[in-house]
Amino acid sequence: MSEPTKPILSVKNLKQHFKVNRKFTVKAVDGVSFDIYPGETYGLVGESGSGKSTIGRSVIRLYDITDGEMTFNGQDISGKMTKETNEMMRTKMQMIFQDPMASLNPRKTVMDIIAQGLDIHGKAGSKEEREQQVIEILERVGLSREFANRYPNQFSGGQRQRIGIARALIMNPDLIIADEAISALDVSIQAQIVNLMKDIQKETNVAYLFIAHDLSMVRYISDRIGVLHLGHLLETGTTEEIFTNPLHPYTKSLISAIPHPNPILEKKRTSLTYDYAASGLNYSEGTLHTVEGTHKVLGTDLEVERWLQKDNQSEVIGVS
Amino acid sequence: MTKEKVLSIRDLSIAFKTSSGLVNAVRGVNLDLYKGETLAIVGESGSGKSVTVKAIMGILSNNGKIKSGTIEYTYEENGEKVTKNLLDFSKKEMRKNINGKHIAMVFQDPMTSLDPTMNIGNQIMEGMRIHYKTPKKEAYAKAVELLELVGITDAESRMSNYPHQLSGGMRQRIVIAIALASDPDVLICDEPTTALDVTIQAKILELIQSIQRKTGISVIYITHDLGVVAKVANDVNVMYAGRIIETGTVNEVFYEPRHPYTWGLLLAMPDLETKADKLESIPGNPPNMEHEVVGDPFAPRNPYALNIDLRLEPPMFKISETHYAATWLLAEDAPDCPLPKELQERIERMKREDERYVGTDETYTFSEELKAAL
Repeated sequence: MSEPTKPILSVKNLKQHFKVNRKFTVKAVDGVSFDIYPGETYGLVGESGSGKSTIGRSVIRLYDITDGEMTFNGQDISGKMTKETNEMMRTKMQMIFQDPMASLNPRKTVMDIIAQGLDIHGKAGSKEEREQQVIEILERVGLSREFANRYPNQFSGGQRQRIGIARALIMNPDLIIADEAISALDVSIQAQIVNLMKDIQKETNVAYLFIAHDLSMVRYISDRIGVLHLGHLLETGTTEEIFTNPLHPYTKSLISAIPHPNPILEKKRTSLTYDYAASGLNYSEGTLHTVEGTHKVLGTDLEVERWLQKDNQSEVIGVS
Repeated sequence: MTKEKVLSIRDLSIAFKTSSGLVNAVRGVNLDLYKGETLAIVGESGSGKSVTVKAIMGILSNNGKIKSGTIEYTYEENGEKVTKNLLDFSKKEMRKNINGKHIAMVFQDPMTSLDPTMNIGNQIMEGMRIHYKTPKKEAYAKAVELLELVGITDAESRMSNYPHQLSGGMRQRIVIAIALASDPDVLICDEPTTALDVTIQAKILELIQSIQRKTGISVIYITHDLGVVAKVANDVNVMYAGRIIETGTVNEVFYEPRHPYTWGLLLAMPDLETKADKLESIPGNPPNMEHEVVGDPFAPRNPYALNIDLRLEPPMFKISETHYAATWLLAEDAPDCPLPKELQERIERMKREDERYVGTDETYTFSEELKAAL
């Protein structure tokens, strides 16, 4: 799949290190590159501590990045930004957080929470216009207009997450970073929120950076996927490529760990084990090899060649 | 072969007194757990699944009141088989005789269920030392054995570690070792893997299964993940608004689900081939149990609801010896309601997968009635 359009977000060699003390630095993200195109969903997966949330937070500049280049809408956002770039980035890139309980200010009404972005950037207009915009967005995310004057504690988890989405949408963004946005919700509510996000994407052509650890949802919502482990991007490609031909042993272990909702098959399966220390791999020695199209895998020449010869599909099923 | 019944819950109802009134969290639950088997309870948050197992352990919070029901537990005491109603015991008797010793529990978050000020060796030995007065040396040896059983390498040196020195997956292994320390007959796992990564989740589930094969322990699993259910359970109970609305063997529930809520749950989870534009989602939110329920509590979210659902709560209809569901769609003069198309496709896919990877002799055989309907 070749994308003729220019990427909306381009991240090159992103490094995000945290200095713990004089002797010790945590390399949370260590040289990650990826592109996101308009209107697509890029899924980032990996276990806790793999750096997936850090990437999201670095991209939206909640951290000052250690090294690397990021361009958003064609403008450089990796270093000190001009006032115009800053303004553009702060409105056109929005974030939805994991915990809908903790990410809404309990002392503000829904109206004020959603309109805060407008207020800050001076786009609210008159009081009536502001109200009108909020109500439009509320109805767009499936909430009734009466909710505007209530407080977050009066809502359930799913409704709060809808408020979180409304808050991001009101700025008319080009990119939304969804950091584990559905992980804290019940299964039936997860499906509702995912459907809502897909609908909105179709209408507004917004791109998502979808960060999650639940691979079955990521598979469903994403066009392309990046697999992270210990701050390195191990494998990236279209969802199809990653799931039908996973090359890296870590990707395989991740995919084989998803329990299939099929009792007869599932009882026969054992998941693959992956241990970085015992695998003999060294992530920092590998380079990204292009397998085909957009499918890339991190490894040395020898490793990649070895992986390519395996029957990767049946290995992941893991029926003994 | 008759199966040995270990735990039998009948007509259990529990209410909580809160500032906004009485909340009927559990309304007439029946459950049977057999020796060496795994029972799964599936449901959304607030459906009453955790409250049910807390009642088994006698650890309901103070505003919880058991309104009716029995929990009969069959166990060996001094070489004799006795059956007792757990609800007759006082909290103190439960602590002394049942908790840990016969029924042990694994909680969701390993960080909050371990004592941060005590090394893990002592935490594992504590139960044995108190319940059985095991001499220290013996307890130590058994603790090391348990650590090896739960797949912790270098067990001897881990004994003196503290919880903060271990990763999340390791901690949950320790919690399981502690639960197994006093040789319980029943292990209750309340969302044991929700807080863990997928890869670690798979390993913990496989661990519990292998322990079950080795020791013949019965397990109650609480989860909202149907993939997990498919992996571990023999029997499945789907809970909604404090009632069990569908129960059956795992194959019956996955291949022949009869309750629209179970349909919704199955469809809300994308399987490996779901390519549809939209996930079939259950509309609306779970009901607030503060209000008295009139009719079927699922009716407002149920696209297949009948008029009677709004007035009368459906009883359990029998489908087979093991399979029951509470929906009026199974009543004799109910209109025909076939499975949603997506679900039919899903089941077909499952059958194809089974044939391809497992072999035809082990695939699920549909009952004649359902075959006709498909």
